Amino acid sequence: MKELMYWNAISEAIAEEMARDDKVFVIGENVQESPFLATKGLVQKFGSDRVMDAPLSELAIAGATVGAAMAGYRPVCDLTFADFIYCAADEVLMKAAQQYFIHNGEVGVPCVFMGVAGGGFGNGPEHSRIPAAMVMHNPGLKLVLPSNPYDAKGLMKAAIRDNNPVCFFFHKKCMPMKQEIPDEEYIIPLGKAEIKRAGTDVTVVATSYMVNLALEAAKQLEGKVSSEIIDPRTLVPLDIDTIIESVKKTNRVVIIDEDTECCGVAAEIAQQIIERAFDYLDAPVSRLCAANSPIAGAAMEKYVIPQLPQVIKAIETAAGL
Amino acid sequence: MKKLSKQDLLHLYRSLIRTRKFDQLNIRLAAEGKLLTFYHSAHGHEAVGTGAAAVVRDDDYLFIHHRGHGLPYSIVRGIDPKSCVAEHMGKSTGWGGGITGFHAVDKEMGILSSAGTIGSGFVLSAGYGLAAKKNGRGQIAICFSGDGGVQRGQFHEAINLCAAWKLPVVFVVENNGMAWFTPNRDTTAVENVADLAKAYKVPAEIVDGMDILAVYRATEKAVELARNGGGPSLIECKTFRYRSHSEGRPDVSHFEPRSKEEIAAWMERDPIKLFEEKLVKDKVLTATLIETIAREADEEAVAAEKFSFDSPFPDPARLPHMVYAP
Repeated sequence: MKELMYWNAISEAIAEEMARDDKVFVIGENVQESPFLATKGLVQKFGSDRVMDAPLSELAIAGATVGAAMAGYRPVCDLTFADFIYCAADEVLMKAAQQYFIHNGEVGVPCVFMGVAGGGFGNGPEHSRIPAAMVMHNPGLKLVLPSNPYDAKGLMKAAIRDNNPVCFFFHKKCMPMKQEIPDEEYIIPLGKAEIKRAGTDVTVVATSYMVNLALEAAKQLEGKVSSEIIDPRTLVPLDIDTIIESVKKTNRVVIIDEDTECCGVAAEIAQQIIERAFDYLDAPVSRLCAANSPIAGAAMEKYVIPQLPQVIKAIETAAGL
Repeated sequence: MKKLSKQDLLHLYRSLIRTRKFDQLNIRLAAEGKLLTFYHSAHGHEAVGTGAAAVVRDDDYLFIHHRGHGLPYSIVRGIDPKSCVAEHMGKSTGWGGGITGFHAVDKEMGILSSAGTIGSGFVLSAGYGLAAKKNGRGQIAICFSGDGGVQRGQFHEAINLCAAWKLPVVFVVENNGMAWFTPNRDTTAVENVADLAKAYKVPAEIVDGMDILAVYRATEKAVELARNGGGPSLIECKTFRYRSHSEGRPDVSHFEPRSKEEIAAWMERDPIKLFEEKLVKDKVLTATLIETIAREADEEAVAAEKFSFDSPFPDPARLPHMVYAP
């Protein structure tokens, strides 16, 4: 076992996959120096032909990723900020997501679009989003939101080996997290939720960094509320079975997600719960999300993105307190 | 420069004729309501796709322009055009299994995708070029587009990347001066697309897009450069759209009918007429051969219509399985 930070777990996963498969390469802006560290150190190991600093052009980077994937490679495309996926919407949503369908299942687009996501640094409306619902809404894409270093490593390896385009949004606030990582190789399959904390009173489905806030909230509520914290880890595919099983046990559920509320991740999960476990519910399904607002910057950010006190309150309310 | 044998020239001529006959078939079927989708005719554009696609190897990549929905590029490559007709009729024997509406795809012949969003082929072609450069097998990519497409950012971002990284990509621009109903002289101050390439230090050539041999030779040069590590080139083919943007639409410039004189003048330079005259003069073609080739193409089109009509629709139960690769 060794202790790795979140970013280092990601770069180690990419390095292992690059060593294993020479079709894997990294392309993006500043991936050699890596401002968010997740591809740091790769150029020294694999050279600039496989860790490619590209022009400041999301269209070219994402488009080249899709083209190279269709022509037999497994590119890892670093968009820097996840928000920048909007710049490459045609390439990601229209092309990467739909080429397998358009080719009648004969040509796939195995690639990863990675980007640092979420708030916490007051960076404002264009650098603080988690475009999760948008990705989830576009069939053909998979979506990974790792909430800790261990998951980040195992999920990145699965994402690179997947035969579909996978969006991998890692959270800024998780960057300082450290965790014991096994020396031996492991892979976390996409579509397997994890119960991060077992409980009996209320099911808390939380995503990305919100998992960590929920765990902290559960700790503070110990003795008062027994919370079961579920991290879906991947939203596409979504392990709804694990969520339903928990809801059938606790009869209460709150969904905590950092993307904006309207037509959001929480709305989708809530609807699936209602369809499959309505008769087990003792209270309406509730949710806590970012407000329907641009993500405010600086001191105002905390009024848009859920913070610990609101998470605690949301769990208490869902538990009927 | 490859010496074109009589057989090569006849292949080009036959491909042009078959392209036009199948284009006419699609036009008629669209008018009869038998195509379950739209159609953008290649009438007038045939020499560009046919001439340029004739140059490549089977393992090269082609990103096609939307005119003719793949016909000019695929027929010359030996792909059976009945799969085009069947796709437009929504049949399982179509080249996309009848589920794409119109997209031309042929994995074996390197026709990956085709753009519904005009101009999106530029950056994907950069990706094909990147893959080709990495695998060292000497492959190249040709990206076909129109003059409207180059006004999108994708063109500029792709050609810049291809030039910077010397990717083996040839940009063939079919410049017919129109984007839908809007003449490009009113939307760009740049008359020649070739000038844009020069800004990115990419060699560019303007050729007569109605002259199939001129297109062939220019492409041959650009492909050779790309294959030998010389990076991208651009070929601007001046051509003309004889019909409206798509079938069933008015043929207008802005909101007024296009000039009949202008269309008539370009008809005088019809790409098939020009090539036919040359081949007759060079004694490659005879009146009998012209008639035979036309008759065979007509028969092929009739058979393709029947084949497509008789083919089954795809099983809708397949659809949910076509979203994600296993």
